[in-house]
Amino acid sequence: MIECKGVNDMEEKILTNETVKSAAPDRVIKLQIKDMTKKYDNGDGVEHIDLDIYEGEIVTMLGPSGCGKSTILRTIGGFLDVTSGDIQIDGKSIVNLPPEKRPTAMVFQSYNLWPHMTVYENLAFGLKLRKTPKDEMDREIKRHLEMVGISGMETKYPSQLSGGQQQRVAIARSLLLKPSVLLLDEPFSALDAKIRQQMREEVKKIQSELGITIVFVTHDQEEAMALSHRIVVMNKGKFEQVGTPSEIYDNPASRYVASFIGEMNFIPQADGSTMAVRPEEVFLVKDGEACDMSGTIRTIMLLGHYVETNVQCGENVIKCYVQREDIEGVNVGDKVNLKFAKHHVF
Amino acid sequence: MSKEKKRMAFGYALVMPAFLVVMLVVAWPIVTAVQKSFTDPETGGFTFDNYLYFFTDPNQLKNIFFTMFVCFATVAIAIVVAYLLALYLRFVKSPVARLIGNLYLIPRFVPSLVAVYAMITIIRDSGLINRISLLFGADVKLGMMYHASGMITMNLWFNIPFAALMITAGLGAIPDSIIEGARDVGATKWKTFTSMILPLSYKDVVVASTFVFMSNVGSFTTPYLMGGNAPKMLGIALFDQFNKYLRYERAAALSVIMFLICSVSAAVYIYTNLKEKDWEH
Repeated sequence: MIECKGVNDMEEKILTNETVKSAAPDRVIKLQIKDMTKKYDNGDGVEHIDLDIYEGEIVTMLGPSGCGKSTILRTIGGFLDVTSGDIQIDGKSIVNLPPEKRPTAMVFQSYNLWPHMTVYENLAFGLKLRKTPKDEMDREIKRHLEMVGISGMETKYPSQLSGGQQQRVAIARSLLLKPSVLLLDEPFSALDAKIRQQMREEVKKIQSELGITIVFVTHDQEEAMALSHRIVVMNKGKFEQVGTPSEIYDNPASRYVASFIGEMNFIPQADGSTMAVRPEEVFLVKDGEACDMSGTIRTIMLLGHYVETNVQCGENVIKCYVQREDIEGVNVGDKVNLKFAKHHVF
Repeated sequence: MSKEKKRMAFGYALVMPAFLVVMLVVAWPIVTAVQKSFTDPETGGFTFDNYLYFFTDPNQLKNIFFTMFVCFATVAIAIVVAYLLALYLRFVKSPVARLIGNLYLIPRFVPSLVAVYAMITIIRDSGLINRISLLFGADVKLGMMYHASGMITMNLWFNIPFAALMITAGLGAIPDSIIEGARDVGATKWKTFTSMILPLSYKDVVVASTFVFMSNVGSFTTPYLMGGNAPKMLGIALFDQFNKYLRYERAAALSVIMFLICSVSAAVYIYTNLKEKDWEH
């Protein structure tokens, strides 16, 4: 089962959610990490990691650089030895296998296509090692290039492709070998925003077509939210929270998760705790109605279909996203009352 | 003068000292040496005799073949050993590897004359190895002095660190992810080496080979102190023609021959460097 490291009032709720899900009969565990520890010589690393990943699931490890997310991925791929614990795929331990014997395939952050080989040769390399017949190889390569949307590039060298195209080739190269689990290590972080969004959609599409199990690593919370069935939020080598994107967004298990995912106002309370409110949960209310805080408008910024407003409430600045019609006639410097539709306390 | 012209004049002024020095001490002597090599010392007329001498005299022919042999042996052994050393330094991450990575360049900082004498005191028939063997009742005489083996050993001392330096730089430019990618799709370590590491570093190997080869064709200190009387390395043969027999025309011809031998290697170097493969853009 899922292990949540954060101890707080939300934990129970999340565990219940997961129990309901995993009780469904079609959920087969594909990848299981059992009490896995990986310590580097300098003391960094991850400790006592437990995680079950189900067949056909996209699970994203999300966290800042140095939080250990890539470490976990690399231990699955076989590029790092584990210090203790076990990793199983389809119920079989893989920790003692070298990378070439593992049923995993990895797409790396840096485009790691082999620069001295054409796209075709890059894709054929792994198939040749498996002694695939030539006609089958040609067919498979053609099919996979079509799937990632770059047909007809067979004779090009990686240096003649754009970053996005290179990553498409890298994904095709990994999928060709029909891995049990596909590992993606910040594959889009070197691409510009627009291409990144396209690639995200592409991965999601391919995943739903093939039903393949994917472990994805990123530091981009938007990417994690958009792509994942479940997100593992990590901090300093530990799991802060494991849950679906909506669980993590709506019920962050810790202040850390709350601050990492999406926008959040943190308001210190008299009793030493902190109240956390999403900007879209803050509403402007008329005088006389029940309100949580009041203050003065500092800024009003129109951001398309909604307006971002910052309100100075004593020492705190509360950010709120409000509808355009709600803020008509309100100006900077006006006194306003705020009502919180939903909040968390940490 | 316009601003543009002033800038150009300033540019030429910066280049001029280097240009003049090269013309005076490189280009000019080459022209006169080539000219001299075709000159008959008696008549002052044009002749091929100075060249014919080196390609017809049995001893001189032996010298040329002997020099080629020593150079090729040095290149082959130095490059193989340097490649293995570079692989170790690139892929093994241990304190020992780090230590070796810092120490292996030390030979580059020892003056060549000092190094040659140091080697002689060890390998000569009454040297360190002989003394140690005597302690155990054996009388090991290596016979490496005045023999190709001694010179090749000495050349390795100079050239392995140099070649390793170049090849290590080349291997260092291969990202880990390329190797990990190959392992990931199922390549064994050996297959990864032959399909990825070797093709991606072969250019550095060729470049290092040409440098090692060229530096040994004209070597002098080592053959002078460790070489035999016959056959001789070309550096010594040239010294003899110039300093002992005062045959300046022949010395010029031999210089041109040595230059041509080196230029084959230089051509390989330039070709390898200029040839942009399709994938190098």
